[in-house]
Amino acid sequence: MRVSLNLIKKYVDLPKDLTDKQIAYDMTLRTVEVDNVEDVSLKYHDIVVGKILEVKKHPNADRLKICITDIGEDKPVQIVCGGSNLYEGEYVVVSKPGAEVVWHGEGEPVKVKETKMRGENSYGMICAAEEVYLDDFFPADSETEIIDLKGIDCKPGDAIANIIDMNDTVLEIDNKSLSNRPDLWGHYGIARELSTIYNVPLKKLSKYELDKNLPKYNVKIEDTTKCNRYVAVEIDGIYEKESPIWMKSLLSKTGQRPINAIVDITNYVMMTVGQPLHAFDRTHVNGEKIIVRNAKENEELLLLDNNTIKLTTDDLVICDEKDAMALAGIRGGKKDSILPDTKGIVLEVANFSASTIRKTGKRFAEKTDASIRYEKGIDTQRVDEGLSLALELIKEIFKESKIMKYNDVYPNKTKNNEIKVSEEFLDTRLGKKIPKDKIEQILISLGYELSYNKGVYDIIVPTWRSTGDVTIKDDVMGDIARILSFDSFEAKPINITIDHPIIQNDVLLTRRIEEYLSSRCGFYEIYTYPWIDEKYIRAAKIDISKSLKLATPPAPSLAYLRSSLIPGMLEAIAKNVRYYNEFRLFERSEVYQKGDYRPSSNDEILPVQSNYLIGCIVGKNAKEIFYEAKGVIENMARYCHMENIKLEKKEKPNYADINAYLNITKDDEIIGSFGLLSVQTMSDAKIKRTNVAIFEINSDKLNAYASRTNKYERLPELPLVEKDLSILVNKEVEWKTIEESIKSIVKEIEFVDEYKGSQIPSDKKSITLKVKMINESTTMTSEQINEKINHILKALNKKCGAELRTE
Amino acid sequence: MKEKLEEIKTKGLGKIENIKNITELEQVRKDLTGKKSELSKVLKSISDLSSDEKKSIGMLTTEIKTSFIEKLKLKEEELIASLSVLEEPIDLTIPGNKVNEGALHPITQMRNDLNDAFLSLGFEVYSEDDISSEKYAFDNLNFAKDHPARQSMDTYWLEGTENKEGAEKLCLRPHLTGGSVRYLQKHGAPVRFVYPGGAYRNETTDARHERAFFQYEALIVDKDISFSSGMVLIQTILEKVFGRKINTRMREGFFPFTEPGYEIDMECLVCGGKGCKVCNHNGWIEVMPGGVIHPNVLKSASLDPEEWTGFYINIGLDRLVMMRYGVDDVRLFHSADLRFLKQFK
Repeated sequence: MRVSLNLIKKYVDLPKDLTDKQIAYDMTLRTVEVDNVEDVSLKYHDIVVGKILEVKKHPNADRLKICITDIGEDKPVQIVCGGSNLYEGEYVVVSKPGAEVVWHGEGEPVKVKETKMRGENSYGMICAAEEVYLDDFFPADSETEIIDLKGIDCKPGDAIANIIDMNDTVLEIDNKSLSNRPDLWGHYGIARELSTIYNVPLKKLSKYELDKNLPKYNVKIEDTTKCNRYVAVEIDGIYEKESPIWMKSLLSKTGQRPINAIVDITNYVMMTVGQPLHAFDRTHVNGEKIIVRNAKENEELLLLDNNTIKLTTDDLVICDEKDAMALAGIRGGKKDSILPDTKGIVLEVANFSASTIRKTGKRFAEKTDASIRYEKGIDTQRVDEGLSLALELIKEIFKESKIMKYNDVYPNKTKNNEIKVSEEFLDTRLGKKIPKDKIEQILISLGYELSYNKGVYDIIVPTWRSTGDVTIKDDVMGDIARILSFDSFEAKPINITIDHPIIQNDVLLTRRIEEYLSSRCGFYEIYTYPWIDEKYIRAAKIDISKSLKLATPPAPSLAYLRSSLIPGMLEAIAKNVRYYNEFRLFERSEVYQKGDYRPSSNDEILPVQSNYLIGCIVGKNAKEIFYEAKGVIENMARYCHMENIKLEKKEKPNYADINAYLNITKDDEIIGSFGLLSVQTMSDAKIKRTNVAIFEINSDKLNAYASRTNKYERLPELPLVEKDLSILVNKEVEWKTIEESIKSIVKEIEFVDEYKGSQIPSDKKSITLKVKMINESTTMTSEQINEKINHILKALNKKCGAELRTE
Repeated sequence: MKEKLEEIKTKGLGKIENIKNITELEQVRKDLTGKKSELSKVLKSISDLSSDEKKSIGMLTTEIKTSFIEKLKLKEEELIASLSVLEEPIDLTIPGNKVNEGALHPITQMRNDLNDAFLSLGFEVYSEDDISSEKYAFDNLNFAKDHPARQSMDTYWLEGTENKEGAEKLCLRPHLTGGSVRYLQKHGAPVRFVYPGGAYRNETTDARHERAFFQYEALIVDKDISFSSGMVLIQTILEKVFGRKINTRMREGFFPFTEPGYEIDMECLVCGGKGCKVCNHNGWIEVMPGGVIHPNVLKSASLDPEEWTGFYINIGLDRLVMMRYGVDDVRLFHSADLRFLKQFK
């Protein structure tokens, strides 16, 4: 909302030494966020009134004239102008050198310079309305018409900003921060806040007394749950004309386009007190009767542009005897328009329920100034303020107008909320004692009525805050706190009581795993979206029967929520292989599956949600990255201090290569998978010219050790003897068999290397292993070592058919 | 004889002076001080001299030998000092080998920093699941029945539940706040905890807006505490995160689940509070909304608002990380783009 400080100052005398910036700052801290402070006069700098003294022919151009113009300076100046309505004695608008104008009303503003036009000097320019943001004030009939200030009280040299009341500052308020304050949608409400902040009096709105004996205008409210009050005033002597400059100025500053005097009055009232109004052409109301009712099935409303909108039985409409004239509180139809033949109006000042307006407004996507206000919840008493101001303005602008009929149908009155607030409550919650007179000043200034008795305030909330905004004592406390400014409260220390240790092993384990992967194993952490592209679901061959979908997804192909982190990772890999040949990524996020999960209450059944951990190693050499990734999984338990996990071949993951996959298990339960991406999956995911080893674990199944559990081992007193042995075995013999065959006869056994190739028979492979041996009580002699080695080789030969490889 | 000895001395010292390496040194040592050295020969040849002469020559010989030994020792030290393990000098400007790459996501790094800070203040860490229900995301939090945030234009509802209500209408959580009631229901009060996580909103995205974003929320519930304690908490946290004191201001803000609610702005670190494009020329950046927990929220957690109170602070992690590094596009956080992630070691 745009707020004119000039209009605010009509209702409250702000302290003299305040800057506009300070006002904006104080309001931001205490009431609503001011986004911008705009000096609206800036657009009009160096634009002044000029009086044309003489109009001469231009020697070199037929369409141009030379105007000798008095612009209030020592000497008249010469200005070249192409205007079609120039005459001697005309008062015009002159942009002096330095002013900014918009050529033909289009594009960015340009700085005016003293220049020569076809050989003749021109000191600035005589302007058309659209060139200097004045088309709202002086609408032109043709493109070549310049502004003629005839009839306006002014003299040469007067700043145009003064003439059109633009020496003003506009505060731009963030509408979102106003959403819970229906009282602030008019200038008067803002003025009330400022009067409280600066502790200065708020001027009362004037009251227009209506003649009690006026004949009744016929009004019928059919649905009183939706319309709380309807005032109709029939006024004659109203016709289409322009409104005065001061009114156009206010509307223009607050972002409304001036249209004609009667429409402008309704908008002016709305901007001032926040009450929307509506004017119907009196002669358009068939049967001189207004009916407020729900629309009929398939009923239509004819709009000014001859389009129609379809209504439903939920929509509230304002009708005459024949048909709908307006969508209540939202927009008018063709019937209510003020046209050149208008002679009188029926003025509507009404209150509609917020939920009705919200419901109907939602269906017609467009919000109007009226509907924005109604849907916040306005008090019914505001009708009186709107009506008084409107009638006053009509009397002033249409001097000959006459009120003919009147009616006020008022089924529901906004009731004042009543709240008890104790001093003790305020003291504790505010954290300090606020003097009683300060509390009273703030609350009374905001419109509360209060009486005090034995430490308790009985508070009557003003109606404009009683439509949902202020309902409990905490709301009252909030009002006091914000007006004092949150910043004015001393920050109070928080005590820490140490009565139990914070032990959250799962939180710590998550962190250890993340750090293990990133710092020790060289993975980069990523986050992907919970909705995933179907393309990658297909590539990963994920069964979607248990997947969940979004009702309104970000894009049609992104409707599925992830049940696995694989598809998201495939997408991440596909993106990054464009820039990198080798990399490692991991993610820890939640995945979701249809199911029955009740974390908090029995009536809330959520899908099953689990934290998954995924990691991948991307590189050219498939075998190498497989073993790299295997090492990452195998060492995780030891480095992250958690219960052991195993790798076993049980069932093939859908994404995995037929020859390279394992399952991750814990206590015989499969909790994850590991493998190389299959050729098919990589091709479907458009991962080209590389290989990927990938693992995924349900990390909720991992169990942290409560403390570190390994025991210290005494250092050996005798030296360990190490020997590397290269053996030849048949290709299909697995390392595990080799290891098992001699595990019991050596201290330690380690895999060193595997070789297949031209130097050995094609059905064989060479395995190099390291054995470590030690004697119980004495250092091993070379004879003992040889004996042991022979023993080992015999065992290897017997169980695996191994032969010692000879070079 | 004496002349001869003087000659041996001069020649010998000269030889030592010219030694180039340790091998040469050992040879020279042998030549000058060994059994076959010229000095030894001289000593052997003086047996037929008078005892006086014997004495003086003997002394002179010993003196020369000592000076040889000393000189050799010095030479040896000098040579060892100039020894290198390298055969030849190496190019010192070649860069060192790379260390293991890999890093936590900048959001996680910030989350960990905050966890550490809050842990030191006695907070527990909680995490709610991504998918919640209207009951926990809105009803419990005092959102009006027809609050616009409940609409599908704002919240991602799950297909098949979008026309249901309350506990049966499911969504990707639009904020973390719903988790507060879950935790309070389980643990009661007094309590202080943080709950970091992702939140999701149906939005049009651009450099400043994302559909998926990260929040970090903290809640204290206790007896007789005042909202002004929130200020201390915020200053502590910001100081910890940025490593120095950060100016903040607390201003009016409105949230259904707080009363009163406030917005906390920090001085813009890009311009130092003078006003720039990043802070929309007002010198302040909105980083964390917060407020006193609304009595209706306490009630939905079965806590008596007459007895208990507390306050929230909600930190927009994305924005805080953007401030920390000057990141100008929020969408990078979910991009999984290594060119971005490799910048945060």
